[in-house]
Amino acid sequence: MKVLWSWLLELCDLDRQPTVEEGAKALTRGGLEIEGMTNLGGGFSGVVVAEVVGKQPHPQADKLTLVDVITEKGGAATQVVCGAPNVPEPGRKVLWAQIGATLPGGLTLAAKPVKGIVSPGMLCAEDELGLGTDHAGIIVLPEDDRTALGAPAQQALGLDDWMLEINAPANRGDVLGHLGVARELCAVLRGKLVPPDLDLAEYVDRGGPAVEIAIANSESCPRYSARFLTGIRIGPSPARIAQRLKGVGVRPISNIVDVTNYVMFELGQPLHAFDADTLTTGVVRISHASDGERFVTLDGVERSLVKGDLMIRDGQTGIALAGVMGGRDTEVTDKTTRVLLESASFAPVLIRRTARRLALHSEASLRFGRGVDPELAAMASARAARLMCQLGGARVQGELFDAYPGKQSPVSISVRMPRVRMVAGVPLDAATCSDALSRLQFTVTGTGDVLDVTPPSARADVSREVDVIEEVLRIVGYEHVPSTVPVLRQPPGVRPRDRGDAARIALAAAGLSEAITYGFQSAERGAALGLAGSDRRSQPITVKNPMSQDQAVMRTSLLPNLLAAVARNASHGRHDVSIAEVGNVFLRRGEGVAEREIHQLADEPIWAACVLAGDRPAQLGPSGAWDVFDAKSFAQVAIRAVAGDVEIKTRATQSVPYLHPGVAGELSVGGNVVGWFGEVHPAVRKRLGVEARVFAFDLDLTKLPLAEPAQMRAIPRFPGSARDVSLLLAESIPAGRVEEVIAAVGEKLVTAVRLLEDYRDAKLGDGMKSMLWSILYRSPERTLTDAEVDKAHEGIVARLVENLPAHRR
Amino acid sequence: MDLSAQLDAIETEATAAIAAAASEQDARALHAKYKSELATAMKAMGKLPPGERPAMGQRANKAKDALEKAFEGYLGGLREAAEAADLARVVDVTLPARPAPRGHLHLLTQVRLEAVQIFSELGFVVADGPQIETDWHTFEALAIPRDHPARDMQDTFYLSDEIVLRTHTSPVQVRTMLTQAPPIRIVAPGHVYRRDDDPTHSPMFTQIEGLAVDEGISFADLKGVLIHFVSRFFQKDLTVRLRPSYFPFVEPGAEVDMQCSFCGGSGCRLCKGTGWVEIGGAGVVDPDVFAHCKIDSEKYTGFAFGMGLERMAMLRHGVNDIKFYYEGDVRFLEQF
Ligand SMILES: [Zn+2]
Repeated sequence: MKVLWSWLLELCDLDRQPTVEEGAKALTRGGLEIEGMTNLGGGFSGVVVAEVVGKQPHPQADKLTLVDVITEKGGAATQVVCGAPNVPEPGRKVLWAQIGATLPGGLTLAAKPVKGIVSPGMLCAEDELGLGTDHAGIIVLPEDDRTALGAPAQQALGLDDWMLEINAPANRGDVLGHLGVARELCAVLRGKLVPPDLDLAEYVDRGGPAVEIAIANSESCPRYSARFLTGIRIGPSPARIAQRLKGVGVRPISNIVDVTNYVMFELGQPLHAFDADTLTTGVVRISHASDGERFVTLDGVERSLVKGDLMIRDGQTGIALAGVMGGRDTEVTDKTTRVLLESASFAPVLIRRTARRLALHSEASLRFGRGVDPELAAMASARAARLMCQLGGARVQGELFDAYPGKQSPVSISVRMPRVRMVAGVPLDAATCSDALSRLQFTVTGTGDVLDVTPPSARADVSREVDVIEEVLRIVGYEHVPSTVPVLRQPPGVRPRDRGDAARIALAAAGLSEAITYGFQSAERGAALGLAGSDRRSQPITVKNPMSQDQAVMRTSLLPNLLAAVARNASHGRHDVSIAEVGNVFLRRGEGVAEREIHQLADEPIWAACVLAGDRPAQLGPSGAWDVFDAKSFAQVAIRAVAGDVEIKTRATQSVPYLHPGVAGELSVGGNVVGWFGEVHPAVRKRLGVEARVFAFDLDLTKLPLAEPAQMRAIPRFPGSARDVSLLLAESIPAGRVEEVIAAVGEKLVTAVRLLEDYRDAKLGDGMKSMLWSILYRSPERTLTDAEVDKAHEGIVARLVENLPAHRR
Repeated sequence: MDLSAQLDAIETEATAAIAAAASEQDARALHAKYKSELATAMKAMGKLPPGERPAMGQRANKAKDALEKAFEGYLGGLREAAEAADLARVVDVTLPARPAPRGHLHLLTQVRLEAVQIFSELGFVVADGPQIETDWHTFEALAIPRDHPARDMQDTFYLSDEIVLRTHTSPVQVRTMLTQAPPIRIVAPGHVYRRDDDPTHSPMFTQIEGLAVDEGISFADLKGVLIHFVSRFFQKDLTVRLRPSYFPFVEPGAEVDMQCSFCGGSGCRLCKGTGWVEIGGAGVVDPDVFAHCKIDSEKYTGFAFGMGLERMAMLRHGVNDIKFYYEGDVRFLEQF
């Protein structure tokens, strides 16, 4: 909402005129945030009001005029060269940009010869001052202009003013006009509101046509008023009105239309003027549209309406889309001489819905959508009528036809002082509250522990005790609220450990950098993993109204965004990347949920994933590339951070489509598959723009048990004995299988099993490899004898040879 | 040769030989050899008259001691030489360090954990809720019905007519109040989504929500908690300014400004010369919200606040574009 400082001051009676900065501060303190302040005349300087005292043609150029101007009655004249065709006769005032003046665009004027005659500056046209596009001639001030000679041009143009951009709260329709903002300013600064002049006595002609107003539904339209104005002469508005409208961002059109806008900005009441000669029935009907009804709005567009839209009708014919836009056929034109002036109030919800559905957001629909005080209608009608008479030569014909079926009796709100003090935490007394509320034009009765408060009709947002408490507090000033700390009456209680944070902290400690990426992504990126249709992750939840295709679907895996980050880092030369993300992915709940509706909320399991590209951090020179065992190690770090010292089983897998079929492992804990690690499938990473190999893991942390507190195990008191065994076996037998066979023996003395060597050589025979394993034997009760250890070891070796199978070397 | 002369000879020969040994191994061999020679010589002791035995015994022990001393001396010399050699080593300590694993928690994670820690000192515990939320929890229960103009304040991503990406963490308030009786004191950090994208707005960002509900909770309590938070977070005595504002789910409602942490309030570019920077919204829980959550608003009052973690991190760490948080650019991630 744009307001002009001069306009606000006009509506306030203040002891001392505040500066615009003081005013802005006062409004902010009261709760109207000032988003911006613009000096309307800030675009130029050094331009003054000058009077033409003589003119003669330039001796060397037909189109140039030598103009004598003065900036002081009786002062010496200065000769300025001017190229405009409209140099006025002596006595009229023009705007003279003197030497040193700066103009919009940063131009500074210097004396320069024009066809041999040096001109001390220039006389300005509209476009040169950034006021418009008109360059047909210089600005000539109206004959009755009263600005002093030599005064800054801003004064004559109504530009010595500030425009304040106010962020009006969504519940405060009342501050969408200067009057409402002035009410706030007066409340904070203890001023008195000065309502604009509404007196019509000298403009009214009795008699004339009547109009019947028929409101079908008083909830949709609590009030509708209309009056006739006749004898109108359509023409441009005077500069003062036009300048104010421009100042608040509205293009002046003609005196009648401008008045409706002017009063809307002044009082907050949108108005509409119909050309009365286009109306035929004498009945204005306010009723809902029927589905499919068609109506041509004044922008010439034919609209298709629905039942929720509210129509203004001349008899049965639609003439306006209530509160949103007028109709083409009843629009005020150059030829209009009689208007029917509408001043009404409509249900905010209806106006918002219609404006949103048709994308017709106007100054009127903005205000009706926030709620316009029905009490304003008559006042605004009188104000506009008076201005139309003054500016457009109109006469008011007859009375105001006013249907007001939705009149509300004022509400009285009981406000309990102890409650006020409790909610505010401030020891306020009844007198302070009454004072604050009276300044806002609330009516207050009672002085004891209960006040009866009636807000002004404009303040429909205040209906409850707590609303009144806020009004009191904001006028008293939030800065007078002390700061206290609430007493804790009960211990905060327990909360389970956070899986995500446990993994984040462990992965960072292990050397990975944590990334956080968006919860949504493009459909292509989501599909890049090549997941099978049977996989829940292949059916992402779609966003109905993304701003761009990058927000089309919710992520079902952390990997696509992480791989895209690898590509992004590579694109600016960073090829060594080791990052992890721990966050939610979003899965449709249950099988067979229809594509277009997610009736239930999604599942949001928390996953962890990492990507490793390029080399490990090195001390000197290259330290070697990341490989699959780094990915496996980080996966184990994440699992153990959440689940504690659990047994993690690894199995080779070819069934993860986004991992290399020969370099992929499945991780399980307690019999549940919790995730995968491996080399990212070359085709997948290429789809995401990654050239080099990437190793990765991804884990569903919600599938992990939460670690119980670790329990201390006895420190071994007796030494253990290690025995090695070297095996010759088929390359296809994985190390994990050897561990399984050893575990299956169930030998209690086995304390640790380590693979010391995994050796492959053609000399070992086709498809064969050699492995050197070391097994540690220990008893918690005594030192084992060699014979006992040998016996246990031989038993295990025999099982390995038989079950793998393998040869002992 | 009598036994005494024999012992003298062994002693002299042994000490000289051990001192001249070429290696520790030779010295050990010589030590063993003369030890055995001494032992052989000692066997002759039994043939001596009993009166001479004690004196000869002493003489033999002296030879033995000399042998051991020579051997120990030799070993000691070796140790000293080795220690000297070890101390003579010189390493170029200006070579780069071998990189220890050094990962980085995301700046937003660090800020979140710290914020949670600070609020926990005042008894707030973490609560959470889904990012994919119902329209009811996100709006209706928070006194923002479907046609309320405040819906325009938060441009919403819809997944279906009834399901949205939450636009704020406030639905966690609702979920908590529906499942837990007062007193309640929670903080809820989490990702939220709005249809907004420019240098200061990201379509996904992170909020931290706070809620306290109990008998006698006041607007003044809200102020105290916020002041504690900003002072601890910025490690400075900073004050907080509450400015009247409108959020449908709080009344009285406030915009929360804090004293500019950069200039201390004298005015700078960061605070646009005002000395204050906006960090969030807050207020006293609206009775309508209590009604939706089945909490007796006559008995209980509460306050709620919400802040953007990106903004807090930006103010403290000078991050000048919100997009850096979400791009996975290691040049950014590794700075914190
Ligand atoms: Zn500052």
